[in-house]
This record gives sequence, C-alpha cells and structure tokens, in this order.
Amino acid sequence: MEKLSYDAIVIGGGLAGLMAAHEIAVSGYKVAVISKVFPTRSHSSSAEGGIAAYIEGNSDPNDNPDYMTYDTIKGGDFLVDQDAAELLSQKSGEIVRIMESWGTLFNRQPDGRVAVRYFGGQTYPRTRFVGDKTGMALLHTLFQRVSGLDIDFYNEWFALDLIRDDKRVVGVVAMEMKSMTPVFFKARAIVMATGGMGMLYAHSTNAYINTGDGYAMALRAGAALKDPEFVQFHPTALYPSDILISEAARGEGAILINNKGERFMARYAPRKLDLAPRDITSRAIITEIREGRGFPGGYVGLDLRHLGEDYIKERLALAYEAAKNFAGVDATQEPIPVRPAQHYYMGGIDVDITGQNPDLVGLFAAGEAACVSVHGANRLGSNSLLETLVFGRETGRAVAKFLSEHKEEDSNSLDKEAEKVVDDAYKFVKSESGVHFGEILNKLRNVMWEKVGIFRDEDGMKDALSQIIELRKMTSSMYVLDKSTTYNTEFFNALELRNMLDLAIVIARTALERKESRGAHYRTDYPERDDTNWLKHTIAYLKGETVEITYKPVRITRWKPEPRVY
Amino acid sequence: MSEEEKEIVVKIKRFSKEKGSWWQEYKLKVDRFTQMTEVLRRIKTEQDPTLAYRASCHMAVCGSCGMKINGEPRLACKTLALDMVKKYGKNEIAIEPMDFFPVIKDLIVDWTDFYNRMFKVKPRLYPSKEVLEGKAEHRLKPEDQRELWKFEQCIWCGLCVSACPSVKNDPEFLGPAAHAKGYRFLADPRDTIFDERLKILIDSAWRCTYCYQCFNVCPRDIEPVTTIKKTRAYTKFLSEKTPVALTGEKHADSIAKSIEETGKIEEAKVYISTYGLLTAITDMIYAMQNGKLKYALVTQKKVKNMEQIRKIIG
Repeated sequence: MEKLSYDAIVIGGGLAGLMAAHEIAVSGYKVAVISKVFPTRSHSSSAEGGIAAYIEGNSDPNDNPDYMTYDTIKGGDFLVDQDAAELLSQKSGEIVRIMESWGTLFNRQPDGRVAVRYFGGQTYPRTRFVGDKTGMALLHTLFQRVSGLDIDFYNEWFALDLIRDDKRVVGVVAMEMKSMTPVFFKARAIVMATGGMGMLYAHSTNAYINTGDGYAMALRAGAALKDPEFVQFHPTALYPSDILISEAARGEGAILINNKGERFMARYAPRKLDLAPRDITSRAIITEIREGRGFPGGYVGLDLRHLGEDYIKERLALAYEAAKNFAGVDATQEPIPVRPAQHYYMGGIDVDITGQNPDLVGLFAAGEAACVSVHGANRLGSNSLLETLVFGRETGRAVAKFLSEHKEEDSNSLDKEAEKVVDDAYKFVKSESGVHFGEILNKLRNVMWEKVGIFRDEDGMKDALSQIIELRKMTSSMYVLDKSTTYNTEFFNALELRNMLDLAIVIARTALERKESRGAHYRTDYPERDDTNWLKHTIAYLKGETVEITYKPVRITRWKPEPRVY
Repeated sequence: MSEEEKEIVVKIKRFSKEKGSWWQEYKLKVDRFTQMTEVLRRIKTEQDPTLAYRASCHMAVCGSCGMKINGEPRLACKTLALDMVKKYGKNEIAIEPMDFFPVIKDLIVDWTDFYNRMFKVKPRLYPSKEVLEGKAEHRLKPEDQRELWKFEQCIWCGLCVSACPSVKNDPEFLGPAAHAKGYRFLADPRDTIFDERLKILIDSAWRCTYCYQCFNVCPRDIEPVTTIKKTRAYTKFLSEKTPVALTGEKHADSIAKSIEETGKIEEAKVYISTYGLLTAITDMIYAMQNGKLKYALVTQKKVKNMEQIRKIIG
C-alpha cells in the first residue's frame, strides 16, 4: 500500500476542519485535508440562521460575554463545561471579525457595521448572519481562503480507520473513491472534523453525507465518546421533506400555531414563547400533534405572514424558497408546514478545550464530531457555527503546539495494521449473496426515530438496543453487488452503515442508562432533571458488542445549576 | 395537504468503464413532494444499490447533485419528480450526467477542469494589511452587501459550465461560474488586487457570446452573464489590452455610435469599424462563396423620431 507522510491530517473539509488546517498550515507544518466530498459540499453549507457573537461596541449595550456564557450553560441544561462555554463567548467577536476580514458578506446595519438578530435562548440578540445562508457564506469564505495556502486536499477520499500503536494515533487509511486505491497517511496528529450523524434518523435536516463516520472511527480506535445520548431535534423542519426552516424565522418574529390557530408556545414557555430553546419547542410541537391539535399528516404551522413580503424575501430567502419549492406553500400568504426532525449531535469524541482526546496521544477533534462540551444537553441556535470556527482554531493551534513537542517516532511496524484495515472493510461486505446495505439502513433509521428520539422510555430503548444488535449481526451476511473498482458508492454506503451501527449501539445504550430528563434527552419514565445523580458526563467506549460506560464530572466555574425555565 | 401517490418510470443513463454506457429503467411511487434526489436515494437503497450519483445537502446550497433531467441541466434536489411529469406530459423521466464534463461512473462526472477554472480567478478576498491584522474595520453599505451577495451565492455546481457553448469551443474562455466568482471579488470595495483581477478576467469576458444559457440554468439565480457584462464595463481601466478585448471594445463603441447616428445597429458599418476594412473584405468574399452575402446587403428603412432616441442615450 502506498504511504504518504504529513505532520498532521485533518479528516473533514467543513468549517471546523478547514479552520484547524488553516492554523496548522500557517504555523509551518505540513497538513493534508481528507474529505469524502469537495469541501464546499460539506454539511456546514446547510447552516442557515447565523453565528452568535458578542462584538465589543456592536452589541446590545447591556450585553457582555458572561450573559452569553450563562445563556449557553442554561440552554445546555447545566451539562455544559463552563470553562469551554466561557472560551466560546470570549472568542466569538474575534472570530466574526476574522471571517469578515476574509470576505464574508455579513448583513449590515445602515452604518455599515455587521447586523444582529435574536435567536432562541438568548438574553440579548447576538446572531450575526448572511440572510439565512450563513453556513454557506462562511464555508465558501474559509474554503476560498485556505485554498490559497499550502495545504494538500484529498477530496472524495473515504477515510476507513485510524491506525494506532499502544498509546498513540499514527495515521489513517483512506481510499480514493474514484480509483478505490487505499493509501496509508502517516501523521503525528489527526484532527477528526467529520461532522454529524443525522442519517441515523428517519427524519433529519442533515445532508446525506452525515453518517457519523468520525465517531465510529474514534470508537474503533479505542477513544471514548462523551455524552452520546444527547441528540438534538430541530422544531421546524419543513413537512414532509425535513429541510430546515431556520430558527431565524422565529428570531425575526414568526410564530407557531396549531390547527385551532392558537399560539401554543404560550402553554410551554410563557416568557420566551416561540423563542424557547429547541428541545422545549420540539416537545411542544409533538405534544400538540399527539393531542390532536396538529394538521392532518402530522405538522403545525409556522406563520411569517405579518413580517411582510420584502422582509421575508431578503432576510429569510431560503425559508421562503424551500417552502415554495418543496411544499408548494407561499410563506407570504399561508403558514409553512413544519414538524421536528433530528438536527444536531451534542455528543461526540471526548476532547478538552484544546480539542485533544485523553485516550490517544495525537488524536484531536473539532466541530460537531467533537464534544468539548459547549452544548451540554441541548445546543442553542447560532452556537454550532461559532463552535466550528472557535474550536477549529483552538484545535489547530493545539496541534501546532503538539507537533513542536512531539517528534516523529518509528511506525513502520504498523504497515500490517494498515493492510488489515482494508481487509476488514472488504470483509465487512464479504458475502456472495444476502442483504444489501439499504435494507438494514432503513430499519436502523426507523428504530432510532421511533425509540431513541424526542420522547424516550426504558421499554422502547431496550427494544431498540436489541434491534440494533440484530442489525449489526445482519451485516455479517451483507454483500456488495457492484464489483467495480471505479467510484463504487455501494461499497462506501455499506461502510457508512457500519459506522452508523457502531454509533447507534452506543447512543441507545447510554440513553437507556441515563435515568433522568435533561435537555434533549427526555425520558417519559423519568421526566425530571436529577442533579444529585446525573450532573455528570457520560463517557462511553465500544468493545465489540459491549458499550463500556464511565462518568466524569461537569466542569463548573461560576454558574450553579438552577431550574431551567423560559 | 393530500399526498396522492403516482407511479413513475425513471430512465437513467448508466456508465461504467468496464461496460460502457446503457439506459436502465426503474419504477417507483412518488408524491407531490418527492425530490429527484429522494428518487435516486430510494432507487439505490430499495432497488439497485449499484447506481452511482452525488448528493449531499438536498436543499440546493451544496451543489453536488447537478445532472441532466429530461435534457435540462438541473440540481436533482431542486427538482420535484411530479413537476417534471407535469411539464413534459409523461410519467417517464430521463436522467443523464451533465454535459461537457467527462463521465466517471453513471451520473458522476470529473470536476478537475471546472475547479481549475475556478481557482484561476483567485477566488478569495485580498484585504488590506490593516484589516487583516485587526487594526482597521471594514464597513460595507447594506446596498453593496446586497449587490455582492447576489453573485457570491455561486455554489460551484457547474451547471452553467455544462450548458455553456463558448466553453466547449474556446479554451481561453474561463466560463460563466469563474466569471461570476471573479466579478464578485472584482467589485468588492474591500479587495486590494483590482488590477491583477482585471488582467485575468477582461480578455475572457469578451469571449462570451451572451447566449444566456448560464442565466437559464443557474439554480441560485446569480446570473453569471450579468457579471460578464459588468466585467466588460471595466475594460477602460485596463492598461494593456489583448486583441480580443480591443476588438470587443471597438465593437461596443461602434454599436453605440451607430445607434446614436441612425437609431439602429447598421451591421455592415459596425462590422467594418470593429474589424477594419481589410478583414471585412476578406470575410465578405468568404460570405459570397457561401451564398450568405445577401444577408449583409439588406437595405433598411430609416428610423423616425431620432430626437427621442438621442434623448434616451443622453
């Protein structure tokens, strides 16, 4: 197998990966980005509403980074590591300034300064935006910026597995999708910036490419996931195609109504109403639908009409366009049909505020692939774009520092390991007949949606767990019909399924274990938050079919847990 | 909201380097919300896992799923199956890979040439040192932001290039997407390499034939052809002009002059003043040999109300 050698490898070409690669490259180290899509196709492009930032001199005069930290901690139902949230808030203004200086066309106030709007869970408005295509604008800016640097891009390369020795990560095996050629990329540091996992759920706002590859690779290499039971559902996905209708709509004043025309959020969050955080709003919508106050088919209405046509078309262009193209609804004339769908993964590869994983020397993670943790049990809108850039940068800098302190050690003895990774991938689909990936995939997505979704209970999750174990067994008789050695997407879809199953078993198992309700993890059999027993992070390892769970304390600096009411 | 299902036939042009190319048919039920990306996903997961295509965001912001649907270059995600059925009056939908790009497998094409074009225009802002170091702040008028944002929304989907006839015929033409990207930075008041950008863009801008195919197929409505027109208007700022740009400029001037004098485009005159008498005579002989000279010699009526026309052009 061909070998290539770099100081660092970044896996994933979205915002977090590109920002990390930028920092590593400008520090003078040789870095490559491996991505299974061309970077601008990354899921970062789909982020809509904005990026939260406290900007000195361009924020509400009463606001300060401490309020922002507090909002983030409370939004995350106190499972947030407070040092991480403080860092996130403090660096927010600088990150927006950098992106602006690199060319991002943020919406402007009449005086030419960056504009701002409200998002759910914010005490003062902090969301900076480019219409409702903020992710796309930021991703293009950053990709364009780093494409001018000395970074090697391996686009449309599929990462199979990490290579490690006793205690260090020493590289990754990836395959060029076009030629199916595997290559052993050796590196002293690996940054996992592989994004989320929405395809595990039957309903998701995520891109088709979000299959949890990074989480599974880390698990198989022996690294832990932190808080894997916390899956965010966004309240307003377009019915029925699950395209995200940004929270910006409600930030700009849109309201949710049931089939009686009631503004039902008054019952669930009397003070914050439609701008309550996502977990609360998602459960409110499902409750309305279950109790017969939804519309036939199972959705509620998101009413923008009072905002006026011009305003809607400028500030919420994508929402307007999506409603028109994909649901046949003119949002200036009638409410948009919406329902909750999986949206974001709070859990992720366990890292500290420098992006470093404690299990494996040289393993880093950033963005949605990582759990720092700034989102705790529930992420506030506009904090994910912010996290990708702030912690992408922190991680990149930490990698540069790590590289200056860790010299290359001999790892030639690991060539056999690299060969084994490729063999394992082919073995995974070794049968000559049997099931295809699609059959297993569809079953997995349904069981996750129905039993490990917005409302959870013991019986449902036990059932889900046994079904997932069954599906994992089925993969041993899975086969790939396509024998071609050019861009064999069937083979890669099967590998994605392996990743999804490795993650699903960890999610279901840890969710079953957490016997309380906190943020997005809502148990009908344990409806209250239980700080006495559960104010702690779940740390989960995967050993074959066993999920080994330990816990570690939440880092609390200045904000003591309090009841979470809005 | 009713969800009536309808069975459609999807014919996909397949290709593999081992087997060459062939058409394959699939049948499935869709409703009025079913996107073509969903049609492809369902074919792959439920019927034929060997089908290869690209798709990512399914909301028309990532630009992965460009292909030809019933002969039109489109994003599959932005195309609803039943809209195609309605538009063409038959429940059979034909899908092919995009034109111009070499096919790798089924609907997957090779982007190398496209990306090379995009990178040629230096697609990134070069801000001043002060701004980069955080010592100065960019202020941008809301109206400038709106104007630039229109063109910044290019998602590198390549549909315009696949539809562009000039790209196929003229290797020196950068193509519509690269021009949109190039203009977006050329027009940005925060950028510092204006002269260098002009040098990259002007000659190529005069190689566009204004056929408007890019305008028609762009899924983000960014009007690449408009950016080419706007770029041409900068020709006067370029110190060393290429022959193509010089001819183009002369052509535009002579059209303006012809309208000012006669109220219409007198093509023979415009031709002579653009290309010079010698070239015009050579071309005339060529036209005569091909029996096309009569079209150049059509006499036209004079335009009335010349005063009003002069008033309009100022």
